[in-house]
Amino acid sequence: MMGRIISIVVVALVPIVFAGSPLHAAKGDPEKGREIYMKRCWWCHGEEGAADGPAAEFMLPPPRDFTEGVYKFKSTPFDELIPSDEDFFNMIKGGLMKEHVAGWNGMNNTSMPGWEDMLKDDEIWHLVAYIKSIVEYEQPEQGPISVGNKVASSEDSIEKGRKIFREMCAECHGEEGRGDGTKMLKDDWGYRTWPRNLTKPWTFRMTDTVEDIYTRITVGIPGTQMPSFADPESKKRLNDEERWHVANYVVSIAAPYKKPDENTVIKALRIEEEVPDNPSSPVWEKAEYTSFWLVPQMIAKERHFKPSLDSVSVKVVYNDKEIAFLLEWDDRTKSVPGDAKAEEIAAGEVFRDGVAIQLPVVVPEGSEKPYFAMGDKAKPVSVWFWQSETTTEPQRLKLLEGKGFDKIEERDPSAIGLTARGVYDHGTWRVVMKRPLFTKEKDKDIQFVEGKFIPVAFAAWDGSNGEKGSKHELTTWYWLLLKPPVGASIYIVPIAVAVVVLVGELLLLRRFRKD
Amino acid sequence: MRLLQFVIWVIISYLFFKLPGILMGKPIPSSLILMYMFFAVVMILLVMTSTEKSTRELLAPIKSMLEDPSKKLIRNVVFVIVPIVAGVITYEQIKPTYEAPVELRSTHPAPPSTIKIYGKTYDLLALENPYRKYEKEDPEKFKELVREGGEVYFKHCFYCHGDKLDGKGHYGQGFNPLPLPFQGKDTIAQLQESYVFWRIATGGPGLPKESTPWLSAMPIWEDFITEEEIWKVILFIYDYTGNVPRSWE
Ligand code: HEC
Ligand code: HEC
Ligand code: HEC
Repeated sequence: MMGRIISIVVVALVPIVFAGSPLHAAKGDPEKGREIYMKRCWWCHGEEGAADGPAAEFMLPPPRDFTEGVYKFKSTPFDELIPSDEDFFNMIKGGLMKEHVAGWNGMNNTSMPGWEDMLKDDEIWHLVAYIKSIVEYEQPEQGPISVGNKVASSEDSIEKGRKIFREMCAECHGEEGRGDGTKMLKDDWGYRTWPRNLTKPWTFRMTDTVEDIYTRITVGIPGTQMPSFADPESKKRLNDEERWHVANYVVSIAAPYKKPDENTVIKALRIEEEVPDNPSSPVWEKAEYTSFWLVPQMIAKERHFKPSLDSVSVKVVYNDKEIAFLLEWDDRTKSVPGDAKAEEIAAGEVFRDGVAIQLPVVVPEGSEKPYFAMGDKAKPVSVWFWQSETTTEPQRLKLLEGKGFDKIEERDPSAIGLTARGVYDHGTWRVVMKRPLFTKEKDKDIQFVEGKFIPVAFAAWDGSNGEKGSKHELTTWYWLLLKPPVGASIYIVPIAVAVVVLVGELLLLRRFRKD
Repeated sequence: MRLLQFVIWVIISYLFFKLPGILMGKPIPSSLILMYMFFAVVMILLVMTSTEKSTRELLAPIKSMLEDPSKKLIRNVVFVIVPIVAGVITYEQIKPTYEAPVELRSTHPAPPSTIKIYGKTYDLLALENPYRKYEKEDPEKFKELVREGGEVYFKHCFYCHGDKLDGKGHYGQGFNPLPLPFQGKDTIAQLQESYVFWRIATGGPGLPKESTPWLSAMPIWEDFITEEEIWKVILFIYDYTGNVPRSWE
């Protein structure tokens, strides 16, 4: 009896003790893995793992080609081709990022989902065994790198990291880390790769912890141009301490305000001074950003599947005469048609960059809005469409009236006092569009009234990513509210209530005293 | 002691309304809770003051606080705190929140009886999936059709409805309403195939007003894929999720 209990305990402990060790993968059965693969994975990764499934051409980055045996997110050293079993397991299981974006529980900002909610752990081990069997991988000779000598983050460490970053990383990741490098990068399979925008850690494939960032810097991202900085042969070698400093620096440049959240309302701020017509005006510092997801236009022809822009952040201010929008979004490339340098790093022909604000022509009284993509016949939309300069022409602004995708009319923006100006700086566009609150033709242009919830949507174009016309990113309808200044009454009423209660108390007291 | 009991009951009922919402991640709106609490407090008071004696017991501590000179300090403290609390609650109630207007929409509206697509008129009441019969008649052929449906799905639908058909595609989070999941029992498991056919062929703009067609990002698939492809992708989304279409009762 005792013997049986002991053996049960031992058997139960095995998976815990040996988690991540060779024994585990041996547990996985490649045959069973293949079965699951043919139900869940081949659609992207292909029947034989060659990344040629029916879905493959509709995404960037493309699915991994398992016949090559090159894996991006592994923890074994740079000169060890084979990831650890634990790495494989995590690639498939996902769910590593604690505060991930809703829906992104695998490799963030790619089409590779995490499977933890659909597959049991042993099924994942079967998949690991199958995927490894495609290239007949055994165990790696070298185990995972150590993250034991972590250098705690401090001002000093971050400052050292900043210097290293400028020297070692900026050529790809940009001076400010926004991925606005100066090179055209392709991976080993010939696909365009964009260096990560390091100010948006929620888009990191693995997690945004300093350990994971350190691991990437140390191991590199195989198959891409993200190198290992631990390779003694390389000119780009950093010692262990330096790698921690630069990892600390990367953590420090996160810009959380760019991450869209639940908030769907842009609160326009009422100001006393002039409404600014340029992005660098100090007035903007008073207002707060609201950020929204940009998603590719996949609804009407011509559809767009490989976007390069993922969010836009907006501020709005107004006074008694005018209203101005500040649109800020990270774009890795300043697209200047005709410019040799811009053409060099673009994915094909270069078009102008652009951004647009969409508003209903008439603010709806009920819940019924115009169709969110370019309006409809019954309910048209106004689109303020700004585009960047070319080598020969300046920036331009169009005023469009949309009654559906293919029913777009152009009008003269200056007739209603609409102006725009954009500035590009280190991977970020900032564009200001400004207009009087009211116009003459009330049935043709929106009139901005305080206190009303006004539907608003946005669109953006990256001209270096082949984006032009219907190929662009867009948002769904959100809200704009010209926040009227709050009157004193919201303070007076509570005070009055408090006084009434106090008087009540005193009356009560008097009655009891009398009794 | 009665007073303490009263306070405890009020706290318990508050937690009763509040906790399940928090645990399930779907909190009840505070305005509703306020209303429930009002009734709860009235109920508790009614019960606790049902007899003369119990009323007296309930109020005894208050009475003694007001009358007993030795409790002067407590009284003064209470007299200051109560008005402040009242003021703060009032402020919380009236301060502007700028919350977006709620947009109610019906997820599964009544379908039209006929639709005109692909240059033909379809009677939705009589419409059936022409491939469904092979499930019994020719399982091999059926499997092939499901697979072809899967290819349609993984060219046209996964980036919104998800690789796992869970509504969480790469770009799903950018839409409002969110793309619907096909997993689970709330969506296609409730629907007949003809209904699903209508939804896919006519997309968001094909919805009636109560379902806010102007918000839905669901494309009009008549413009992109064939009738046969729609029927096949329907086979696939039921097969993958293990759901069964609702049949005519
Ligand atoms: C909808 C498409 C899609 C499906 C379905 C899919 N994947 Fe992927 N997978 C991808 C993409 C895209 C990548 C590449 C991500 C990158 O390069 O950043 C990827 C990468 C991977 C990697 C490599 C990660 C690395 O670090 O190199 C593995 C392993 C993997 N997938 C396994 C699976 C398994 C197992 C399944 C089925 C359970 C599956 N995938 C289903 C799209 C998909
Ligand atoms: C030669 C170009 C190049 C250099 C130099 C470079 N990177 Fe990268 N980096 C890339 C590319 C390309 C990617 C995206 C790879 C992919 O996933 O396709 C990347 C991705 C990353 C990631 C994302 C990891 C994740 O989980 O998503 C981090 C962090 C990173 N780099 C940090 C650094 C740091 C720090 C340095 C300097 C020490 C550096 N990189 C230098 C090209 C480069
Ligand atoms: C651009 C994103 C997008 C794409 C691509 C897309 N859908 Fe949808 N779909 C949605 C959204 C959003 C909804 C929820 C709103 C609605 O009901 O219209 C939806 C709803 C549906 C519904 C209604 C489900 C129910 O329970 O009523 C079905 C069925 C459906 N989609 C099928 C498909 C199929 C099949 C494809 C591919 C051929 C597809 N969708 C592609 C966004 C998309």
